Amino acid sequence: MNASSEKILVIVPAFNECGNIKRTLEDIRKFAPGVDILVIDDGSQDTTAQEARDAGGMVVSLPFNLGIGAAVQTGFQYAQRHHYDIAVQIDGDGQHDPSFIDKVLGPIRRDAADMVVASRFLEKTGGYRSSFSRRVGINFFVHLINALTGVKINDPTSGFRAYNKKMIGLFSEYYPHDFPEPEAIVVTQQAGGRIVELAVVMRKREAGSSSIRYFKTLYYMVKVTLAILLHMIRQKNRGKI
Amino acid sequence: MNIHIVAITVSVAIFLFVIELVRRERLTFKYAVGWLLVSAGAIFFAVFYRLLFACAAFLGFELPSNFIFFALFCVFVFLSLLLTVFLCQQNNRNDIMAQKIALLEFELKELKKKLKIE
Repeated sequence: MNASSEKILVIVPAFNECGNIKRTLEDIRKFAPGVDILVIDDGSQDTTAQEARDAGGMVVSLPFNLGIGAAVQTGFQYAQRHHYDIAVQIDGDGQHDPSFIDKVLGPIRRDAADMVVASRFLEKTGGYRSSFSRRVGINFFVHLINALTGVKINDPTSGFRAYNKKMIGLFSEYYPHDFPEPEAIVVTQQAGGRIVELAVVMRKREAGSSSIRYFKTLYYMVKVTLAILLHMIRQKNRGKI
Repeated sequence: MNIHIVAITVSVAIFLFVIELVRRERLTFKYAVGWLLVSAGAIFFAVFYRLLFACAAFLGFELPSNFIFFALFCVFVFLSLLLTVFLCQQNNRNDIMAQKIALLEFELKELKKKLKIE
């Protein structure tokens, strides 16, 4: 990390990731030495919290499982309380390669974006590109979000993201809870935030299983679609940034 | 005529039961209001059942009992919707509190580390 004056927080939501968390944190340290790492242990029943602490991360342990959205939001709340300039969200399961953190920070540092989404599908970059059925689902959200907001994000379910101070402020107040990634794009766009998508290579998760595998892709699609549509008809405008 | 007495007895019993629950602080006023209104309505119609029959006929129900079932059904749907709203509210508050507690706990630990209390 070059600009030493800026405070950067890497938020790592983790739920039962004891096989992956240590390596993720070591990689973050290696590729982004100047950042603070905050692991949000979302009520894990294994040794995730201890492993993360041993690997040198700050660990906030939620008293019970709140789900990915509320976990990430806890990270924004911490970032807001401690006046961080930039927040990076990276999954604890090893799927996101921390060597791309610097790249993802680029548009935020140049003030070219309020939120950066790291995308598997923007360029033919290779790496892990998800199963067929999930790609069909992801594609559906690409078009849904495009139709509703006019913004085209090629990988709307990607949880590898960077946010500037304005977004930290907005999301610490309001962040969708259940399956938040696609909806967060809509929230950002409605708040007047600028979204930039960057191509990265993702890995297949190393140990354990993704929480989404247990839900049928179709069920996930219906739920998130409803969540997004319900968000669109919300009376209360959650404020502009 | 017996059914008339049974209806009055049951609706009065429900009404008194709700009041007793409030008195024992098992139900707060906020949640008791709905039940009190419903059971008061039940008493009213149990006493003035002719009014109930007239309402049923006016609305086009062939049998007054159909009207009663329909009305009860509507009341329960409304009540359960109301309960869901309360549930969501509690859920949100729970989440916010869990987040606050987790953050405070972490900050407290860090502070203690700094002060070398531990």
